[in-house]
Amino acid sequence: MSLLTVQDLRVSIGGKSILTDIDLSVEAGKVLGIVGESGSGKSMTAYSIMRLLPDGSEQNGKVILDGTELTSLSEEQMCQVRGRRIGMVFQEPMTALNPLHTIGDQIAETVKIHTNTSRSEARRITLDTLRRVELPPEEFPPSRYPHELSGGQRQRVVIAMAIALRPQLLIADEPTTALDVTTQAQLLHLLKRLVDDDQMGLVLISHDLAVIASTADDIAVMRNGVVVESGSTDVVFNHMQHPYTRELMKASGHVPQKLASTAEVTSPLLVVKDLVRDYKVARKGVFDKVSFFRAVDEVSFTIYRGENVGLVGESGCGKSTLTRAILGLEDIQSGSVSLDGEFVIANEVMSLSSRRKMQVVFQDPYGSFNPRHTVGRLVAEPLHALAIQPDRRARERAVHEVLARVGLQASDGEKYIHEFSGGQRQRIAIARALINRPSLIILDEAVSALDVSIRAQILDLLVELAASDDIAYLFISHDLSVVRSFTDRVLVMKDGRIVEEGETETVFRSPSHPYTKSLIAAAPTPPKVAH
Amino acid sequence: MRRRRNLVIGALLCLLFIAAAVVSFVWTPFDVVALDIANKLKKPGGAHWFGTDHFGRDILSMIMVGARTSIAVALVAVGIGMVLGVPLGLFAAAKRGTLIDELIMRGNDLIFAFPALLIAILITAVLGPSAINAIIAIGIFNIPVFARLTRAAALSLWERDYILSARVAGKSKLRISAEHILPNLLNLLIVQGTIQFSLGVLAEAGLSYVGLGAQPPTPSWGRMLAESQTMFSFAPHLAIFPGLAIVFTVLGLNLFGDGLRDYFDPRLRHNRHDESPEAIVKDQQSVNDEQGVS
Repeated sequence: MSLLTVQDLRVSIGGKSILTDIDLSVEAGKVLGIVGESGSGKSMTAYSIMRLLPDGSEQNGKVILDGTELTSLSEEQMCQVRGRRIGMVFQEPMTALNPLHTIGDQIAETVKIHTNTSRSEARRITLDTLRRVELPPEEFPPSRYPHELSGGQRQRVVIAMAIALRPQLLIADEPTTALDVTTQAQLLHLLKRLVDDDQMGLVLISHDLAVIASTADDIAVMRNGVVVESGSTDVVFNHMQHPYTRELMKASGHVPQKLASTAEVTSPLLVVKDLVRDYKVARKGVFDKVSFFRAVDEVSFTIYRGENVGLVGESGCGKSTLTRAILGLEDIQSGSVSLDGEFVIANEVMSLSSRRKMQVVFQDPYGSFNPRHTVGRLVAEPLHALAIQPDRRARERAVHEVLARVGLQASDGEKYIHEFSGGQRQRIAIARALINRPSLIILDEAVSALDVSIRAQILDLLVELAASDDIAYLFISHDLSVVRSFTDRVLVMKDGRIVEEGETETVFRSPSHPYTKSLIAAAPTPPKVAH
Repeated sequence: MRRRRNLVIGALLCLLFIAAAVVSFVWTPFDVVALDIANKLKKPGGAHWFGTDHFGRDILSMIMVGARTSIAVALVAVGIGMVLGVPLGLFAAAKRGTLIDELIMRGNDLIFAFPALLIAILITAVLGPSAINAIIAIGIFNIPVFARLTRAAALSLWERDYILSARVAGKSKLRISAEHILPNLLNLLIVQGTIQFSLGVLAEAGLSYVGLGAQPPTPSWGRMLAESQTMFSFAPHLAIFPGLAIVFTVLGLNLFGDGLRDYFDPRLRHNRHDESPEAIVKDQQSVNDEQGVS
C-alpha cells in the first residue's frame, strides 16, 4: 500500500482545465520526481495534494494519504494535515522565511501550531530539527536571523520547518533551483538522507532532468497537465516510451552545432587587464573606519573576435560586477577594459561607438523590458548609440529585419512585452542586442530561466548569429553542462579572481584548480539516453 | 470590466462637481452672499434642498460656489507639488549618493520639518490672507511628499535590467529618467496625487478655519464644516452636506485615478491569449507589486 495515492485528479481554474487524469503514488522512504517544463502543471499537482489551489478552481478525483482521503476533509481538518502530516518546501529561500523572526522561532512555530507542547519541549524539538538538517546549534544557534545565513543554509531552515513534526510526506517544489551547484548537491544529499532516516515519502518537483535522475526512485514526466510517462527512474530513462520524454532528454543534453566562423580568431576584441572593483562597506558606527570589499580582484583576460567564452562561478563570486564593469556601468579602482582598442570608461562621456559594439542579454525575461513601451521601441533603443540617428522609416526597417532574424514577425513590433512567452521575450532581448550589429554580446545567464526545449532553440539561434555576424559571446552561467556544450574557452571565477582558464573541453576533462574540480563534481550529471 | 467601471463612475463624480463649480459662476439657486435671517437653519427640503445655515444662506448654493475654491485650491496645490517635486525626486535619484542628491533631499526635509500651518502663517504674514496664498502654502508642502516618493520609487527602478540595457545603449541618466523611470512611476503618482488632493481639501478647510484661507463671505467647503461645528447637535445638515461633498469628490477622484492608472498600463489593456499561465501570473504579480495589492 502506497503512502500517497493520487487517482484521476482533475483540476480546472475558471473552467479552464489545468490537470487531467493525474495518477501518482509515493511509497514511504522513496522519492517521486515530477519533471516537466513550465506550464506543465507540476506545481499545481503539489498544490492540489495540499488543497492550496487558488480561488475559483475546481478539484476532482482522489488524494489518499496513508488511508485518509484528503479531498473529503474539511478546511479545518486539512489545516491539521498541512505542516503535520505533509510538509512543503518552496523554491525561493530568500522569501520563504520571515526576516523579522529568528530561525528558532520559525521552526518552533510549526511545532506550536500543531501540538500542545511546552516551550522547553518546543525548543528541544527545534534544536533537534536543526541538527537533523545539519545546522548544528553550536554553530547556528536558533537565535540567528535569516539574513545571517547563506541561501543554502536558509533552505535548510525551510526544510527544518517542514520536517519538524516528522511528516509522512514532504513536497519539495524546485527546492534547489535558486542555489549554486555545490549547495544544490549538498541539499539533495540531505533530502535523500532525511527520506531514509524518517521513512518519509518525498515528492521532488523540478524542471531539471539531471536533478531528478540523480535523486528520484520513481519519476513522472508531465506535460500540459497530463502525466505522459511514469515508472521507476531506471525504467523510464532506459526504455522511454513517450516521444515527449525523448524530446525533453534530447533538449536537455542539446549541443548546438558549431558553425565555422569566418572571423579571424587571433585578433583580440575585449581586453580586460588587472581589473579591480572595490565596494565601500557600510559603516556600523559613525566613527568606524571606512572599509572596502573587493568584488573583483585583478582580473585579466582577453576575448578574441568571434570567440565564445564562458564565465563560470557561484553566486557572490563577482561575475555580475565584472559584467557591469566591462559594460562601463561601474567605476573601477584600477586596471582597464578595452574593446577593439578603445578604452571603456564608466561614465556618460564614453564614446557611443564603443557602446555600439557591446550589448548584453539578461537572465530574467520578465524584468528586462520596460512594460510600457512597444516591442518595436524596446528593440530600437540601442540605435541611440549610432552617430547618425536613422529616420523613422530606417528605424522601422531595422526593427523588422532584426525581429525576423530572431524568428519573430514584423507585426510583433507593435505589441507590448507582456504578450510574449518567456522564450519569445528572450528572443526579443537578443533582437535588441543585435540591432546595432555588435561585435560582443554578454549573455548574463541568458538561458538559465528558460525551459530545456526553448533553451535548445535559443542556443542554436545564438550559434547561428555568431557565425553569420562574427559576434563574440561572453557566456556567463552557473549551469556547467550548457557552458560545456556552448563555449570554446572557459574562465572559472571564485572570490573575485579567475582561478582557472582554458579550452572548455580541457578544463572539464582535467580541471587543475581544486575549486573547478569541486564544481564539476557537484554538477548533477544528466542521465544517459538509451537509444 | 471592473476597471473600466471605476473609470466611468469616477469620471462622472468628478464631472458632477466640476459642473457644479462652473454653473455657480452664472447661476445658483440662491444668492450666497445675501442674508435671510427669517429662513435661518431650515431643515433640508422645500425650496432649500440642502437646508440653510445660521444666516439663512442656501447650503446647496454655498456648496456649488465652495466647490470653486476647494477644488481649485486642492488641484493647483497638488499640481505645484507634482510639477516641482517629481523632477526633483527624479533628479536626486539619477544623481544618487552625490552632493546634489543630499542637497535636494535635505532641503525637502527642511520643508517637511515645518508644520504646514506654520508655513501658511508665514506666507500669509508676508502676503496677506487669501485663497491664492493658501494654494501656495499647501503646494509648497506637497513638494517634499512627491519628491521623496519619486526618489524612493525611482531608486528601485534604477536597479531594473531594462534600465541597465538603456544605459548600455549609451542614454544619459536624465533621458532614462524621462523615458523609462517616469512612465513607470505613473501608477504611484496618480495614487499619491488623489491622496494629496483629499488632504488638500482638508488643509484648505483647516486654513480657512483659522482665517488664513478664502476670506468670508466667499464660501469654501472647509469653512462651512468649521462653522457648523458648534451647531452640529441641532443642525447636523450644516456639516453633513459639505462633508458629503468632500467625500464624494475624493471618492470620485480616487476611482478616476485608479481607472486612469489601469488604463495607462499596457499590461492590463490587452486581451491575453495563447500564453502560458505562468507568464500571466508573473505579469499580474508585478502589476500587483507596483500597485501595492496583495
